[in-house]
Amino acid sequence: MEGKPKVKVAYFDFACCEGCQIEMTNFGGPAFLELLNHVEIVEFREAMTETTDETIDIAFIEGSFTREADRKRLESIRERANIVIAYGACACTGGINALKNHQNDYKEAVYGKDADMPHLDSQLALPVSAAIKVDYEVNGCPMNKDEFARIVSHLLHGKTPVIPKYPVCVECKLSENVCLYELGGHCLGMVAKAGCGAPCPAQGIPCEACRGFASNPNEKTLEKVLKDRAGFSEERAKTKSRMFTANCRYDAPLKDKE
Amino acid sequence: METKFINESGFQDFVGKLVESRNLVGPVAKRNKFVFGEINKYEDLRLDYDVTLLPPKKLFFPPKQDILKFYGQKGESCIDPDPQILLGVHFYDIKAIDMTDLLFRENNEDYNYLANRECTTIIGSNIQNVHDRAFFGSVGTEVEPKGHDGFLTKIEGGYVFEIITAKAKELLQFGDFQDANENQIKQAEKVNAEVLTKCSEKLNNTSAEINKKVRNSFDSKIWEKTAEDCFSCGSCNIVCPTCYCFDVQDDWYLDQETGVRARSWDGCLKEDFSEVSLGQGSIENFRETRGSRYRHRIMRKATYLNEKLGGPACVGCGRCSSVCTSDIADPVNVINQIMEE
Repeated sequence: MEGKPKVKVAYFDFACCEGCQIEMTNFGGPAFLELLNHVEIVEFREAMTETTDETIDIAFIEGSFTREADRKRLESIRERANIVIAYGACACTGGINALKNHQNDYKEAVYGKDADMPHLDSQLALPVSAAIKVDYEVNGCPMNKDEFARIVSHLLHGKTPVIPKYPVCVECKLSENVCLYELGGHCLGMVAKAGCGAPCPAQGIPCEACRGFASNPNEKTLEKVLKDRAGFSEERAKTKSRMFTANCRYDAPLKDKE
Repeated sequence: METKFINESGFQDFVGKLVESRNLVGPVAKRNKFVFGEINKYEDLRLDYDVTLLPPKKLFFPPKQDILKFYGQKGESCIDPDPQILLGVHFYDIKAIDMTDLLFRENNEDYNYLANRECTTIIGSNIQNVHDRAFFGSVGTEVEPKGHDGFLTKIEGGYVFEIITAKAKELLQFGDFQDANENQIKQAEKVNAEVLTKCSEKLNNTSAEINKKVRNSFDSKIWEKTAEDCFSCGSCNIVCPTCYCFDVQDDWYLDQETGVRARSWDGCLKEDFSEVSLGQGSIENFRETRGSRYRHRIMRKATYLNEKLGGPACVGCGRCSSVCTSDIADPVNVINQIMEE
């Protein structure tokens, strides 16, 4: 690949903890620096002061779209970028920010007497794709830096990145983990989008579907299994998957408009 | 065929000596389940296991396997066979290995499978505890277990060891074996015959009857109805000892010049399994519904492969039934229902 012009990439953030950017800088050492031989970073608030108004080859967007005021900025990124990649749960699904979509009192609970300050005003927490066209997603909370590198390298080679549509159970079984239901526990692996390699169930921690849902998740049967096999109450079984999938579930606020 | 006997303490020494001189793999405990894993001392070996999470094919056909490393257009194989002894394989898994041997040998021989398979010595063992979802006593009863090198049966006081190939005979040097007497051989036969009657689940018909009826049930409503609770998670495929589909992907290392081609087990219950490209970024799925994918799996096991394998592509291990979180995968349940339709 020597002699080729470097691919210009930029990082942008919206409503998020910026943990995915931190994860990005965690590449550290020679590994990430090697990727820098092939890309030129032109904007990255977490790691440099320069910004850009120029055309970008790949724009990476972190964070959810939760203020109408942000739409313009997103549209401007889309106009300037050949490829837009949403990365991290907040950008891909709305992430845990979207938990507020089902609540009315979150501002008072979080900000107390400052709740009415104008800069705290926000609307539904939505994925970036609710405002602009997104070409690829790097899922997860935080996103997985190996998957990030894989997707970028596939794009550098002109290959369409292969992103699983199937559930986490696949990767859990391939790793020969004991199913948490067999240990008297619960898990959302049957509906959660794979690609992470099932690190949580491998450690005995239930999958919370931080990568969003697999394609055509069987939400009805999930509720049934949570009740029958994990002993959940009706109400808990109904709401259990909401932590990361509030915008993906059958009761998502924008479901009818899609 | 020779048949030997070794007493309990002699068997312990035998395993100890194998551990010292060979790569020994066998059933070991994992939390409240069992898996095939490395045996480092006699105590690791759990011949009293009921069933393992993944079938033993993983020892020569790993769930995730690097096939070759590439540099530009040049490639170098990653397959580096290491002789191993696989001890304690139940007869149903021996039948399954014989099937995957055939499937990977036919047409284009799959070197990546065969290289590792051929340097594996397989010593079977009798089933001491029957898994509660197993139905090996009533499925494909016309198919004999074969392709293994030796078989151990626990009887009172020790083990009867059937020597089938030279690979097994060569192992006699590690233990104090004697010729088995008639009584010991009879006891072993009895143990292996009796276990066939101990499954709590049972198919009610012969393979031929099932083959015919299931094939004629393509339009039955049972498929969509049963699959209403399917997660399309492919767990039933992944744990199946006769499933052999895999996916191949190339990945570059960060230098963007070298990379690795790897394959991993695939499964026809997964939605993306049956997706094909129509070009220009459009995709078509030729088994779009859960029911059609569920039907395909049962059809493959109960009918499609029968001619090639001389019986069903199912050995009754019960793994699919036990991993299915919504408990719809059980072939006994669905096949017995079809037979009554």
